[in-house]
Amino acid sequence: MTPVIRLDKLSKRFGPQVALQDVSLEVPPGVVFALLGENGAGKTTAIRIMLGLLEPDSGEAEVLGLRSARLGLEIRRRVGYVPERLTLYEWMTVGEIGWFTAGFYGEAFLPEYRRLAAQFGLPDRQKIKNLSKGMRAKVALSLAMAHQPELLVLDEPTSGLDALVRREFLESMVDRAAAGQTVFLSSHQIAEVERVADIVAILHQGELVLVQRLDELKAQVREVTFTMSNGEVALPDLPGEILAKRQRARQWQVMVRGLGDDQLARFRAASGVCEVESRVPNLEEIFVAYIERGRETCQEVPTP
Amino acid sequence: MFFHIDPTNGLAIYEQVARQVVFAVAGGAIAPGELVPSVRELARDLAVNPNTIARAYRELQARGVLESVRGTGLAVTQGALANCREQRVRMIRERLQQVLLEAKQSRLDPGQLRTLVQSELAAIAEKGTGTICRNGP
Repeated sequence: MTPVIRLDKLSKRFGPQVALQDVSLEVPPGVVFALLGENGAGKTTAIRIMLGLLEPDSGEAEVLGLRSARLGLEIRRRVGYVPERLTLYEWMTVGEIGWFTAGFYGEAFLPEYRRLAAQFGLPDRQKIKNLSKGMRAKVALSLAMAHQPELLVLDEPTSGLDALVRREFLESMVDRAAAGQTVFLSSHQIAEVERVADIVAILHQGELVLVQRLDELKAQVREVTFTMSNGEVALPDLPGEILAKRQRARQWQVMVRGLGDDQLARFRAASGVCEVESRVPNLEEIFVAYIERGRETCQEVPTP
Repeated sequence: MFFHIDPTNGLAIYEQVARQVVFAVAGGAIAPGELVPSVRELARDLAVNPNTIARAYRELQARGVLESVRGTGLAVTQGALANCREQRVRMIRERLQQVLLEAKQSRLDPGQLRTLVQSELAAIAEKGTGTICRNGP
């Protein structure tokens, strides 16, 4: 199965600022793929390269089997894209912008746009410059979805929007996925991502630190709290990957990946260990652990 | 059937959906022969990935709670009521295990624990059933 998006060792810097470092990933068809990362982590850069709006320094990007560097225009025709900063013709009305955009697509575009606009409650005769932020976002989404693209690319689509509009966006994304289309979204709204993502990826300072199916990730990661008999006793050696480790008095709290619940029982019997408790962390907690671990690793490396 | 999904509470979303269907059947909110919402409908309703709904429904089919009705969708099976009541008892047992574990960790001895349980049972018998607080998994 050809991946819908394929990034191969993408690197990009803006002067001394590294935006992307050796980023590789594949998005299979029909999934909701969420890219998480702090502000400035490189998410928008990756998206712009994918869509042929920016050239990488090295590496390749392909969307729907087309090379982004050469066939960006064709890609942007076939993909539905809602950028982080909307650029809509302010002087047009909701109806006019639909009619105008329809000129670039087939006959099916305009009726579908009108259907979506009605569903979102958009006033047909209102000028875009007079619409609220949420309404404008919905215009952009309607324009992106009206030609039923195989891939929807959303760059922080709901940032700054109220809960109702965010909900409408989520429902649309879910609907697209149910219809077999692919959704690629970059987001800060981690709770929302947790509801709808099939695959999550975390970008930290230009580097991809995680790409995994969300259900697998949550099955593998645990937050374990050890209560020791005294503050000097060292934590037993834990199998698996330690994502975060904190100590308060006689307790250690560890975020660990790949430690089975059955293995935990063994540790309860270890010398110096009074109690072991385990819980499933939520995606926000896992995200923070990966980012903070990334920060620690950076601090260990001396600046050149 | 109303669902409430909390993606952050530690229980996988598909498991939350499956449990809530089981509770709904056991409690009579949905009866044998009645249809559950389609995957697409429910995913949209809950703003949740459709794969998780599909997985929940697959689980429920495997457990004999739901069956496919050709051309229409998934319906609650005839045997589902007894099945779901059993599953509900199993889930209550799991909750009880957690409570007992906590009690043990609080150093309550069996005698104290029994007294606690008996006094709560007596209180329910007197007041009739209270309202179940549905926060938490």
